[in-house]
Amino acid sequence: MECVVQGIIETLHVEALEILLVGLCGAPKQRVRVHELCLKSGPNLVSSEVRLLCDLAKTTPSWTIRHVGGAMRGAGADQLSVLVRPIAESKASSTALRFFYGIGYKLDHEVLKTGFAFQFQNRGANLTVSVTSTNRMPRLHATDDAVPITPGIHLVEITAPAAPENYTEVASAIASFCEYLSPLLHLSKPGISTGIVPTAAEAAASLMSSGGGIKIL
Amino acid sequence: MTVKWLMHFQPNQGTTLTSQVMAEACAVAESFPGVSRDGRWRSSMTFYRAVPRDQSLPAPSDLPRDLIGISLHDLPNEYLFVMRSQRLILRAHSSVQTVMDKLQSYKGRFFINFEGLQYKWGDFKLRIGKCLYNPNEALRGIVMEVEYLPLSSIDKSQRVMEEFYEIWREAVASKLLAGQFINTEVNFVEYGLGDSYTPQHTAVLYGMCVVQVIASSNKNQ
Repeated sequence: MECVVQGIIETLHVEALEILLVGLCGAPKQRVRVHELCLKSGPNLVSSEVRLLCDLAKTTPSWTIRHVGGAMRGAGADQLSVLVRPIAESKASSTALRFFYGIGYKLDHEVLKTGFAFQFQNRGANLTVSVTSTNRMPRLHATDDAVPITPGIHLVEITAPAAPENYTEVASAIASFCEYLSPLLHLSKPGISTGIVPTAAEAAASLMSSGGGIKIL
Repeated sequence: MTVKWLMHFQPNQGTTLTSQVMAEACAVAESFPGVSRDGRWRSSMTFYRAVPRDQSLPAPSDLPRDLIGISLHDLPNEYLFVMRSQRLILRAHSSVQTVMDKLQSYKGRFFINFEGLQYKWGDFKLRIGKCLYNPNEALRGIVMEVEYLPLSSIDKSQRVMEEFYEIWREAVASKLLAGQFINTEVNFVEYGLGDSYTPQHTAVLYGMCVVQVIASSNKNQ
């Protein structure tokens, strides 16, 4: 299970966001370069979807198989400002793509996500804040030639692993952290767009001129 | 990871495999000078079946019928898939079983456990075990896994493993077991595997061995 929120920020403000995050997180910045392949079962198989993530940021690419379940529903879930959903993941060998092709899955689409991320703890929850550009590839698997799908816009996502017994606390930890980012961007449940924040330009300018100066959590 | 060979017991024509063979094979191992019992071992195998979108129809022929999943005794946090027809192996964290459960596109059709006794004999580890259908525990075969601890190179260990195999065959024959142990021969190169031994090699060995075990079991019933 994981809790997740998303938001967008103009690319020209990403550097300011990074300054803010360095100060807030107290954790080293990690480079993100993930080739994400979305596979769907062929017409003969029970309908299902699986994602393969190939981490290209490291010297040796590593693969993860990921299944994302439907969002939690109900009155409790509606009251949360974050989305809660079941997640199943597994590290796997580099034969993962061939394996899923072999059992009847087809490539639906692929993207390359590039940017950076911070992993840290807030109120006991393990948060990951990622700031990425989503890129499409002009030819199959051509990650070196990828171009942004929405030039000028970056996606900001905060995720945290959760369990049935603690997801409300994790959601609260994410929500409280989002407050710190509110001058630059608003984050909400995926699928609920809040657009660009009007104060972003002013906040970014302030961050760039001050070089951070934010109290670390 | 150090090199392993995997053998299965081939009963003599007209004889039926019984649990007594397991006891006799263990007695052979225990007769080796300096051997010591080293606990128990258990690996398990799942045979998967595709779940067609229209479940009133049989599974389409273009989907694999030989997908197996293996949990090895010495790698409890990992799970391996083997598709012999495509010479394909996937090695993953054991949580991949949860992913497959969520996808629901393949379900476990039947299950086999390999379990028995482990012995240490000098630089060798011997694991003799029953091959049992789950859950009714019907005996389908006897297997023996032989591990040579000093070496990870398949080529370099070939000679010493062959020597052990001859020692074992002679010992089995001298104890008048009603059959012999047959080594599982695999062309690892076809699976994209190299000389350095890995869990993927073990998975392929079990995938091949179980086919022979089941064929032998069906023939002798």
